[in-house]
Amino acid sequence: MQKGKGRRILGGLALLFVLLGLYFGLIVAPPDGYQGEVQRIMYLHIPSILTAYLSFFIVFVGSCLFLWKREKRDDILAYSAAEIGVLFTGLTIIEGSIWGKPTWGVWWTWDARLTLTAILFLIFVGYLMLRSLIEDEDRGAVCSAVLGIIGFLDIPLIHMSVYWWRTLHQPPSILRPDKMPWENVHPSMLIALSINFVAIILLYFYLLSLRLRLGETEEEVKTLKLYGGVS
Amino acid sequence: MSPWGFVFLAYGIVWAALLLYLFRLKRRLHKVEVELSDLRSSGDLKRDA
Repeated sequence: MQKGKGRRILGGLALLFVLLGLYFGLIVAPPDGYQGEVQRIMYLHIPSILTAYLSFFIVFVGSCLFLWKREKRDDILAYSAAEIGVLFTGLTIIEGSIWGKPTWGVWWTWDARLTLTAILFLIFVGYLMLRSLIEDEDRGAVCSAVLGIIGFLDIPLIHMSVYWWRTLHQPPSILRPDKMPWENVHPSMLIALSINFVAIILLYFYLLSLRLRLGETEEEVKTLKLYGGVS
Repeated sequence: MSPWGFVFLAYGIVWAALLLYLFRLKRRLHKVEVELSDLRSSGDLKRDA
């Protein structure tokens, strides 16, 4: 009962910040001096990819814990985070593509960062497919945990790709080793970006709490079907 | 397409996809909760009998 109330509060807060984020991102923030209005896609693009990184970090932690302790709840956590991480990575690629067309002149290019992000997406689509393709559930959980750990290792490569290779993608605007965010982004844009980031993170945790509840309930149903009694 | 066209295309796709996922997730959760409640009540009936 307490969990349900907490989830509703989280959902309400997410909705409030989403509306605020839309207002700040589309109306309050000024257009960029070079890119004009299309730069407003940044208010979705950066929060989406950072949320995807966070999600795959949760997959990494959940997978390590599952391989160590073999507790079902860690596997459910990793599986839930992977599903939502794939959604946010897919959306990041779509947003980037729509932003790329007016700024670079192409919908897609085999740039190092774009390619590595596409690989991350495919690794975790593979993770989700493994779960449904391997009939033995425990074996599927172990195999996907190993893939989840390996897949997470792609994220540092994505982040550093703009430094290691000559790429079309610009260097990071926020997570830079040489500058603080407010030294690199105008305060009015940084406020809009921060509000959108909070909105997407709140929405992410709301979705994750629902997905976890789904995973736990499915597990309970399986147990009841197996033993045919009340747990 | 105008610059605003690209912006609305991106925002439209993202929020439509997130809302679709949210509603689908809620529907999946509702379905499995109904199944759990049915299993529990049938278990109670068996125990009472």
